[in-house]
Amino acid sequence: MIEWSETDELIRESIREFIDKEIRPRTDELESGQLPPYDIIRKLFASFGVGEIAREGFDQLIEHEKRKADTGSGAGGSAAGSGGGSGFTLAGQETMALIAISELAGVSLGILASAGVSLGLAAGTIMSKGTLEQKQRWVPELLTFDKVGAWAITEPEAGSDAFGGMTTTVRRDGDDYILTGHKTFITNGPYADTIVVYAKLDTGDGTPIRDRKVLAFVLDAGMDGLERSTPFKKMGLGSSPTGELSFDHVRLGRDRLLGETEGTAKDESADSGRESARANFTAERIGVAALSLGIINECHRLCVDYAASRTLWGQEIGRLQLIQAKLAEMEIARLNVQNMVFRTVEKLRAGTQPSLAEASAMKLYSSRAATEVAMEAVQLFGGNGYMTEYRVEQLARDAKGLMIYAGSNEVQTTHIAKGLLGR
Amino acid sequence: MTNIVVLVKQVPDTYSERKLTETDHTLDRESADAVLDEINERAVEEALKIKEAGEGEVTVLCVGPDRATDAIRKALSMGADKAVHVSDEALHGSDLVATSRVIAAAIGKLDSVDLVIAGNEASDGRGGAVPAVVAELLGLPQLTHAHHLAVEGSTVKVDRETADEGITHLEANLPALVSVTEKINEPRYPSFKGIMAAKKKPVETYTVADLGIDAGEVGLTNAWSAVQSASPKPPRQAGERVEDDGEGGTKIAEYLVGQKLV
Repeated sequence: MIEWSETDELIRESIREFIDKEIRPRTDELESGQLPPYDIIRKLFASFGVGEIAREGFDQLIEHEKRKADTGSGAGGSAAGSGGGSGFTLAGQETMALIAISELAGVSLGILASAGVSLGLAAGTIMSKGTLEQKQRWVPELLTFDKVGAWAITEPEAGSDAFGGMTTTVRRDGDDYILTGHKTFITNGPYADTIVVYAKLDTGDGTPIRDRKVLAFVLDAGMDGLERSTPFKKMGLGSSPTGELSFDHVRLGRDRLLGETEGTAKDESADSGRESARANFTAERIGVAALSLGIINECHRLCVDYAASRTLWGQEIGRLQLIQAKLAEMEIARLNVQNMVFRTVEKLRAGTQPSLAEASAMKLYSSRAATEVAMEAVQLFGGNGYMTEYRVEQLARDAKGLMIYAGSNEVQTTHIAKGLLGR
Repeated sequence: MTNIVVLVKQVPDTYSERKLTETDHTLDRESADAVLDEINERAVEEALKIKEAGEGEVTVLCVGPDRATDAIRKALSMGADKAVHVSDEALHGSDLVATSRVIAAAIGKLDSVDLVIAGNEASDGRGGAVPAVVAELLGLPQLTHAHHLAVEGSTVKVDRETADEGITHLEANLPALVSVTEKINEPRYPSFKGIMAAKKKPVETYTVADLGIDAGEVGLTNAWSAVQSASPKPPRQAGERVEDDGEGGTKIAEYLVGQKLV
C-alpha cells in the first residue's frame, strides 16, 4: 500500500512554509499580473535545491551520453528516465515532486504552469531531442531558472489538432532555415528567453500542408523577426503570463534544429517534432492529476474549516445536511484523485508509467473533479465564496483551466476510447 | 575546524493559541502546533553559515519531550550534522536554572566545543536567561543579544543590540557562547536533499541520569519558582481616535510622547 511517508510529510511542511511566507502575501500582485512569477520561482528552486538536483541529474546524463558517444554507440536521447519523457529521472523520489506541485497548486496554479512549462516542456524537450551540444547550450540555465523557457506548439487555428492544423512554416535557405508564422496561448511567452518552436517544413514539393513534416527549433529572445506579445488577460492562472509569439522571417542556423536532423523521409512518424511533442503528453496529463489533487485538498481544507466555524441560525453550517453532502462529495473526489496519483507513483517506482490512455483518463477525471469541488466550495462559502478574499473563487477559475489545458477533456475522451478499441 | 553546538527548543507555534495547563500551570503542549522556535532557526542558520564559510560541525542540542524530535529533525534538515536530545519525564516543569544545568551537562558530554549558539530567548517562556546561565556553568564568555556574529580565527566578534544600550561591539576568545536575536538573519528552508539526508543523521538520546544529574534536582517540584495562577490575556482596548482639526500632528506627537514611544 502506498501512503505519504514521513519524509513526504516533511517536504509538504517545508513547501507550505515557503508558500505562507513567500507566495500568499503576494497573491494579489501575482494574480493581477503585476508581478511576474519568475523571482519567486527562482527563490523556490534555490531554497529547495531543485535547480541543484536537476543540475546533478543533467551532469550525469551528459556524462553518460559522452561515454556512449566515445564507445561508438551513438549519442541519443534514450537516457530519459522515469520522469515521463522529460529526460529527468526522479530517482526514487517520485512523491517529492508530486507533493511539491500539488501543494503549490492549492495557492497558485499559475506559478506551477510557468515553472512546469519552462522546466518540463522547454528544457525537457531539449533534453530528450537535442544533441549533446544543444543540451549543454540551453538546458543548464533553464534548470536554475536563470532563463525562462517557453514551448510553442499551439496556434490560433491549431489547438488540440496541433500537428494537423499547424501552419507555422520553415523553409530551407542554404544551410539555414527561415521561420514564419504565429503561436498563441504560449505560457511564459511574454517573458521567455529560450523558446522551443514547432513548425512545418515546406520543401516546395507540393506536399499538402497537413502532411508536412514537423520540426522543432530553439530560439533565443532578441532574435531578429521574433516578437513577444504582452500577457493576455485570462479567466484563471493569473500568476502565469500567457501570450502570443510571432515569427517574421526568423533566420535559424542548423544548430537550432533540435537533434540537428530532419528525420528520415520514409518513416513519417519518426520526424523529430511529432514524436517529441507526444512524449510530453503522458507526463503532462499525470501532472494534471497532481495539480487537481492540490486544488481539491485546499478546497477541502478551507471548506471543512468554514463549515465548522461559520454559524447560521445559531449553529455551525456543518450541521446542515446539504453542507454535509458537499463535504462528502469533496472527500470522495479527494480519495479518488489521490488514489490515481498513488497509482502513478506505484508505476513510476516499478520503472514504468501509465499508458497514454490511462493518463488521459486520469487527466479527464481529476480535472473535472477539481473543477466541481472548487465550484462547490464557492457555493459552500456563499457570498464570501464569491469574494476574492476567501480564495475559493480563484481555485475555481484555476481548476477550470485544467479541463482545457494539456489537451481538452474532449480530446482525452478520444484517447481513452482509442486505448480501449485499439484505434 | 569549528565545532558548534546550537541550543534548540520546540515551542508552540506563535500563530496558534498558546496556553498553560489548568492543573500545574506548565505549558499546554497539546493545545498548539509544536514547531522549532523561530529564533532557534536563526541560531541554526548562523551556525551553518560559519560552517559553510570554513570547516566545522554543527550539533543541535535539545531538551524536551519525545515529540521534540520533530524540531530536531527540522534543524537537521536545514543542514546541521548531528543532534543530542535530552528527554526525560523527570524534566517536566523544570525551571530555567535546572534546564540550564541539564544543557551544560549535555554540552560537557561532547568533545571540544568551540562555540555555543542559542536564541536570546524562546518564544514561549521568554525568560531569556538560559544562555547566560549555561555560559556561567560552563565558564564560557557570554556574548548575548547578537544581531551580527563573525568568527575570525580563534576569536568571535559580535554586535550586541539592546533597547537600553544601543549597539555594543563585543569580542571574545573561543570557546564562547553567543545568543542571537531574531534580527540576525533570514533562516533557509530545509531543501529536499536536506530533508532526505536528515533521516540518516545521528541523534543521541540522554536521560538526566545519563548526564549524572539527580532527578531530584529537576522538574516542577524542584523549581525555584512556581506559577500560582494564570489568566488569559485581556482583550485589546479600543484605540484612541484623533480628529484632525489642524492640530492632528501635534496631538499624535503628544500621544506618542505620553506613551513613551518616542
